[in-house]
Order: sequence, then C-alpha cells, then structure tokens
Amino acid sequence: MMVEAEAEIPFHFGTGAKLFGLYHPAAAPTKKSVLLCPPFGQDLIRTHRLYRQLAQTLAAAGIAVMRFDYSGSGDSAGSSIDVDWNQCIADTVAAADELRVRSHCETVAAFGARLGANVAMASATHARFADLMLWDPITNAAAHIARLDAMQNALQHDTNRFLKSRPATSVADQWLGFPVSPMLRQQLLDLRVVPPDGPTLLVDSRADESTVWNEHTAPSTKTIKLPRTPWDDPERLELAILSHELIQAIATHMQEAR
Amino acid sequence: MNTERAHRFGRAAHLVGISGIPSAAANDVGVIVLNAGLVHRIGPFRLNVELTRRMNASGYPTLRFDLSTLGDSGASGESLSRVQQVRADVADAMTLLGAQSGCKRFVLIGLCSGAENAHRAATSESAVAGAVFLDGYAYRSTGFKLRYYLPRLINPARLVRSVARRLHKSDKSASQPSFGVVFPPREQVRDEMAGMLERGTKMYFIYSGGASNYFNGRQQFRENYGKLAAHPGVEVERLEETDHTYILAGDRALLLGKIEHWMRQHFPPQSLT
Repeated sequence: MMVEAEAEIPFHFGTGAKLFGLYHPAAAPTKKSVLLCPPFGQDLIRTHRLYRQLAQTLAAAGIAVMRFDYSGSGDSAGSSIDVDWNQCIADTVAAADELRVRSHCETVAAFGARLGANVAMASATHARFADLMLWDPITNAAAHIARLDAMQNALQHDTNRFLKSRPATSVADQWLGFPVSPMLRQQLLDLRVVPPDGPTLLVDSRADESTVWNEHTAPSTKTIKLPRTPWDDPERLELAILSHELIQAIATHMQEAR
Repeated sequence: MNTERAHRFGRAAHLVGISGIPSAAANDVGVIVLNAGLVHRIGPFRLNVELTRRMNASGYPTLRFDLSTLGDSGASGESLSRVQQVRADVADAMTLLGAQSGCKRFVLIGLCSGAENAHRAATSESAVAGAVFLDGYAYRSTGFKLRYYLPRLINPARLVRSVARRLHKSDKSASQPSFGVVFPPREQVRDEMAGMLERGTKMYFIYSGGASNYFNGRQQFRENYGKLAAHPGVEVERLEETDHTYILAGDRALLLGKIEHWMRQHFPPQSLT
C-alpha cells in the first residue's frame, strides 16, 4: 500500500560529520530498509532525480531509505580529485550503519547504478547487505575506462561545446567534468567483479549484449532486462537519466523480498 | 570537522540546502548559489560545491540550495507563479543564512536559469547587495550580427563549418524535448538593472563561449544596455574559450578565481580592511 511518507531529512554523518546523507523515513513502521549507493562522476548528477524518485517510492511503500554521497563527491566533504575507491567502500559501510540506527532495521538491502553497483557488491560483506539490487554494474573496468577516456579526449575538439579546439593539457586527467587521480584510475583498472553469493537482482539495460555478466551470475541472482539506458551517449552527457521501469522493478523486488 | 551543515528550511520546510560557515567568518556578506537548470544544488560538474567552498576559504558564509521542486526540494503548496516562488525561496534562503552567520547582505550567484532567477530576486530584495550572472540576459544586437556574419562571409570554410554545426544542432533539437526560455524584453531588463544599480547593487556579468549564440563580444553589453555598461557597479567579462557549464577543471578554476577577485574587490573581507 502506498502512503505519503514524511519529508526526507538531510544530515551529515560519519567521522567528523563529513558525509552527506538524506534519510527517507518509511511511511509506516518497517522491517525493511535500502541504502542507495550513488554512481560516480557525471552519472551521479544524471541519476540524482531518479534516485530521489526511487527513494520516495520505496518510502511510500513502507521501506526506509537512505541516500548518501561518497567522500569527494556530491555534498560530502573533500575534493573531486580525492575520490578513493577504498574510501567509498568505507563510506558505504558507515552509511549502512547510519541507516540501521535511523531506521531501527537490522536488515539493509543495497541498490546501486553502474559503479555504485560495484561499490555495493564490494562492500556487501562488511556492510552486511541482505540483498543487492544492481543496475548495469561495470563488468569490464578496462573497457569502461577506455570509453571514459575516449569521450574525454573527444571533448578537446568538440566544437558544439567549445568555439575552438582546446589544448590536450586542458582535457587531461579528467573524466567528463571531474578530475581523476592516477590512484583512482588504477583502483578501477584493478576492479574485479566477484559474483555475489546472496540474493541479487540484476537490472540490465546495457546496449552491449556481449557482457560477461552471465558468466558471473550465481543461482541466487535474478535478472531483469530493461530498455537501453543511454549512459555513454556524449550528446546526452548533461541530460537526466530517468526510468519508471527501473523504479517499478526495484519497488516490486523489495516488496516481494522477505 | 566539517564546516558545512545540511538544512531543511523555508516557509513550508520544503527547501534543502547546505550552509558553509567559515570558522573565522570575516564578512557580513553571505553568498547564495542558485540551481543551474535542473541540476541539483551541487551544480554542473560540482561547480557550486567548489564555488561555495572557495568562498568559505575567503571568509564568506555561503548557502547552496535547491529551489522549490528542483533537486531535493519539494513544493511549498502555495498558489504562486514561478517568479513569486523563486523570490520567496531566495528570501527563505537569506533568512536561513542570516540566522546561521549573522549576515544581513547577500550576493546571489547563478548560471543560466540561475542567473535569471538571481535577477528576479535581486530586483525585489533590498538585502541583495550584489549578483554574479553567469550567461545571464543579453540580446542579439546589430553588432552581434556583424561580429557573427562578417568573419563567415570573408572565410568560406568557416561558413561551411557554421552551417554544418547548425544542421547538427537542428537534427538534435528535432529529436529531443526543448526547454528553451524566452528572455523578458530588453527594456524591462535594462530598467530593472538601473533600479538595482541605483540601490547600490554590484553586478558581475560573465559570459562563456557557450553563450556565443546570443553574446559574442564584451561591447555587446553596451549595445544592449547603453550607459549602464559604464556604471562603476557593473563589470562584464567574456570567457570565450569556455563552454556553458564549465566542464573542464581548469575553466572552473579560472571562473572561481574571477568571482573570488570580484568579491574581494566589492565586498572585502572585514578582517583585511
């Protein structure tokens, strides 16, 4: 049943109150909660509205939800250049603990899009996630980085954006609006997808059908296919990503989850 | 310890924002940064976060927040026009930042629709002591057309590139929804600016290369607004090499440096005066 949820509560948490979070209380006392792990860089900005809509939908359905930003991203402390994969995992564990305290729910599921899905997987054990909902996780980090590099390099001569080509140095060491450190680049290159053991929902809206994800799915993984999401279309770089089908799929999954 | 605080605030507790209060606040002028288009309060490529933190480091209290129905802010439930909503939201933001920091005067900063909203709020709020308009109002003048067409007539290769770019853009616009806005009449904007200047409001206009489809030279400001361009309260800059949303880190750093310099010039930190 859908009930109007209370307004979400913005706050800071974690060591030194450096992490930003938004807590969406459930519309009624609940035993279910979901942590929404954001994707990285421009994906975070493009999916902000969708994450909010998802959180509101779940809260109205009686599920407590928390959104948050990793260190160096969104409204959390730190510079974009300082984003560190290991810190993102530590932040996610801290966020899951914070959600348990606020919701009084010991059982926490996680949702993430793209690298947010990878963070959810990588932190699943320490954050004690009971269920993973993964939307287009990055299964081939090297290919993902190559795509980001290619899109970034194309910016140099993008005369729809700039009046004149820009020097190579001005586009270096960034991915689509965000500076990237050699450390983060290497951390992502080293990323290995380990198939989750526990209950997992994989929402697949990638264009690339040759994904190796199928080789990694465990028997406990349920897969849903959705229409293609234009993640890597340079002409849609600054357009929001919205998907009612995705929200519906996650809400249905959470309501069916024990 | 984090110097930023998260807030739910406003007349209907419907707005969400982040204040940044420097530990040694050295200014009675607060800086409020508005949404750019539909991007939530962190700004395009986190521009608003970088901007507010840079201002904090210079001693200015700041607030970046989402206007009604944008980002994480909800609707106020009132029956107001969008302009009335924007003005009421900015008034709520000034009340909050004033309560947090003791500021009584404010500088509004906005990019694109944020510049339009800064203008709307600044026309009606005497507490607005300054505004930075990033790709704000401007109107194609005769000078604009000469600067645009003459080089293309002289250089056919440039003409071909220009046509190709236009065709590409019209292909795109045919397949995507349009959220274009219509500027108010130039005379209205000029009169409102004159009123603000009379009140002592300082104004900084920065036009990016991305705004070249309607602003292609600093002199256009004079072509648009006449003697207001020479007013000591007005400063105009064109950052020709940059794009509309400052996607490159170096361009953002350049922009932030310009704004910080202008702020120090017009609203010097008190501890340094």
